[in-house]
Amino acid sequence: MTEQIDKALAREYEAGFVSDVESETFLPGLDEDVIRRISGMKNEPEWMLEWRLSAFREWLEMEEPDWAQVDYPKIDFQSISYYSAPKSMKDKPQSLDEVDPELLRTYEKLGIPLIEQQMLAGVAVDAVFDSVSVVTTFRDKLEEAGVIFCPISEAIQKYPDLVKKYLGSVVPKKDNYYAALNCAVFTDGSFVYIPKGTRCPMELSTYFRINEQNTGQFERTLIVADEGSHVSYLEGCTAPQRDENQLHAAVVELVALDDAEIKYSTVQNWYPGDEEGKGGIYNFVTKRGICHTNAKISWTQVETGSSVTWKYPSCILKGDNSVGEFYSVALTRGRQQADTGTKMIHLGKNTRSTIISKGISAGKSNNSYRGLVRMNPGAKGARNFTQCDSLLIGDKCGAHTFPYIESRNPSAIIEHEATTSKVSDEQMFLCRQRGLDPEKAVSMIVNGFCKEVFKELPMEFAVEAGKLLEISLEGSVG
Amino acid sequence: MSEWLESAIARAQHLDDWLAPKRAHAVELLAQTKWPTRKTEAWRYTPLRPVERTTAGKISDDVSLSPETIADLTPIELVFVNGQFDASQSTKELPAGLSISLGQDLDAAQQASALTAFAAIKPERHLFGLVNDALAEDVVLVSVAEEVEITQPIRISSLLSQGAESHTRVQVSLAKGSRLTVIEDIQSQGETLSTAFVEYDIAANAYLEHYRFALQTGTNLAIGGSHFNLSDKSKMHSSIVGFGSDLSRLDTDIIHAGEFADAKLNAIYLLDGKELFDLHATVEHAMPNGTTEENVRCIVADRARAVFNGRIHIHPDAQKTLAALNNRNLLMSDKAEINTKPELEIYADDVRCAHGATVAEIDKQALYYLQTRGVSRSKAQVMLNFGFINELIDLMPNAALAEWVRPIIRERFAQMEVK
Repeated sequence: MTEQIDKALAREYEAGFVSDVESETFLPGLDEDVIRRISGMKNEPEWMLEWRLSAFREWLEMEEPDWAQVDYPKIDFQSISYYSAPKSMKDKPQSLDEVDPELLRTYEKLGIPLIEQQMLAGVAVDAVFDSVSVVTTFRDKLEEAGVIFCPISEAIQKYPDLVKKYLGSVVPKKDNYYAALNCAVFTDGSFVYIPKGTRCPMELSTYFRINEQNTGQFERTLIVADEGSHVSYLEGCTAPQRDENQLHAAVVELVALDDAEIKYSTVQNWYPGDEEGKGGIYNFVTKRGICHTNAKISWTQVETGSSVTWKYPSCILKGDNSVGEFYSVALTRGRQQADTGTKMIHLGKNTRSTIISKGISAGKSNNSYRGLVRMNPGAKGARNFTQCDSLLIGDKCGAHTFPYIESRNPSAIIEHEATTSKVSDEQMFLCRQRGLDPEKAVSMIVNGFCKEVFKELPMEFAVEAGKLLEISLEGSVG
Repeated sequence: MSEWLESAIARAQHLDDWLAPKRAHAVELLAQTKWPTRKTEAWRYTPLRPVERTTAGKISDDVSLSPETIADLTPIELVFVNGQFDASQSTKELPAGLSISLGQDLDAAQQASALTAFAAIKPERHLFGLVNDALAEDVVLVSVAEEVEITQPIRISSLLSQGAESHTRVQVSLAKGSRLTVIEDIQSQGETLSTAFVEYDIAANAYLEHYRFALQTGTNLAIGGSHFNLSDKSKMHSSIVGFGSDLSRLDTDIIHAGEFADAKLNAIYLLDGKELFDLHATVEHAMPNGTTEENVRCIVADRARAVFNGRIHIHPDAQKTLAALNNRNLLMSDKAEINTKPELEIYADDVRCAHGATVAEIDKQALYYLQTRGVSRSKAQVMLNFGFINELIDLMPNAALAEWVRPIIRERFAQMEVK
């Protein structure tokens, strides 16, 4: 049976094409001058440059983390180009008509038409291509509601007070190696501000695309939900199929003020490398949110891409009665390696967190859940429930669980459970008996396995995630 | 590197006996080892300051210490006093099929084979295991002949007087089809430091019943390890009872080196005051069809800190493995702390592995129920705590030991501060 599964897993990476766009790209290398140039390109105020430079100095002193269950050759940070933008973006097109049609075609091919009329109503998109934001749709409609949704480079110019106040407030500059690097060299990303008591009228979404060779993508996302507001945010990403590894080191910061709610969903589909593990994206991402009183942050992620993933979307439950959620499906195949999970830091009273993690390993891949649940002394009556399930497809892959549980409050209750098993012969037999071919059977079983997470995704994403999983599993059935 | 480790290395370099090659290897590794800090994963929650500060050292004066008697138990005694093997208190008349000997008394051929077995099961990653390799002098070898069942348990007692430092090492080997019970016990007074390591080689179809009582408290610094190698169809049943001290650390490694081996490990620890107990339990399933069942329960009162790391590692060939780990913790006070990390690392697909961990306080409803029946709050708390732990004591195969340890635990509960 494993053979059939393997065959079914040998899929094509559909987003692996390269767009022929003329780009302006920095020469590889990293020093203070490069950072000054990035800052200059973006026309940034002095404080922003200072912030970048201080982060860079911190970064130089830091050591690359090696505790994750992943194995990759040392990254040469001097061989990466830290800025690349399509030439046509230089004069900042004022409307969609002025945007290079090749760029628009790229997004169309990826299934993300940027022309508003063609879009699913109710989703505003910020499209980031290499180091710049190409276009942000539905801005007028959002502005009516008082919602700010724009590239972060623009926010630094237009809303410096908001950016100054919140940038780095959740993920400090020297939080970790890759976060510090991101602070120094980040190029673009999205900024969202939802005013008090506002329910964002549509889903917001950012689509990241790496196109140029030998570049890294370092984007930065900052979402601030003011008191009593609500927003649902989606993130997607793809990259061309190349033999070299490319680095993606992003930082996402969420701030949910009193009674606010942020729902952050990711479908990560970076190029995972080929069957032998050649090429693919190194996805080293820091995502963290802070919840004030009665606030809620919910992370949902479907991870199918990247050759190496190192990602722990976390919640700091600072305010009383705040809620953190983490729903994750991570699928690895070929030679992919994923070390992903979450941190739930309970500081306030009656804070609650739920962690549901589903790992699926196939081929020769390794998939790890790494999580931390901490109940601080103040977390009276706090509650956590964690469930980590792993599914193994084939006998050459690995599934690992590393949960850290730290409790300093007797009234806090923590429950953790983890299981690991394979697609059982009985399940397969039952499906086959009812006339399903092995591929459909596995897909069905895996979909069932992931159901708890998929039901948390916004509708369009859930459909996409299900399809993605199906494609990913193609050829892995045996 | 710490001064303490430097001095340990210096002392090891002065020793010269049949263990010299192993000692030299350990010293070499120690010299390369960084002294653990908060960033060292294996010592993340367990600071080594007490070791750095200890005044305990080697004592060669004659002291009279003898192991505690346990009702209804007449063990074969194997006694160390301040790290030295005490032949006078150790049992000389041994049942047929059992041999106990001191490494230095063996002939050259025997020493050569003992040398090969030394530190072959205990993984090199244990810092204090290497310290023990380097500083243990009186290494005792215990072996049971094929198909022999030794009904009398062996008790390894390590006794320490005030200010003493001790490094004891015992190598136990069970030949095919043999059966043996071993009790490891440490008793110390005042400020002491001990490293006590035992390696168990369990051959095919053999059965080991194992107990480790780490009942040291206060300024007794106790670091140790029990390491088991399981061959085809062998079985082991281990029970660990621990109290905390300024620093108590125990590493257990169970290695399924043969097929169809079965391991059971039950551990309880009860901490009070400012105590710390750190249990690192690793299970390596290297071969198929093995089974492992682990139950770890812990009660932490006052300002004590409990650390547990339960790792189950399934190697690529270890198909059809069944492994389960259950870790339950009770926190009794606002200042107490529990850090637990049940890990699974799995490289084979046809296995069933699970772990569960919970941290909570005593069920308020149960407490209330007992109070409504006229039981005082403090008594009710002792009852509930005891019930939580007693389930595992009931699983001890040796009734005499269970009867002996029960009142000791009950007394400890009575001392724990009730709020």
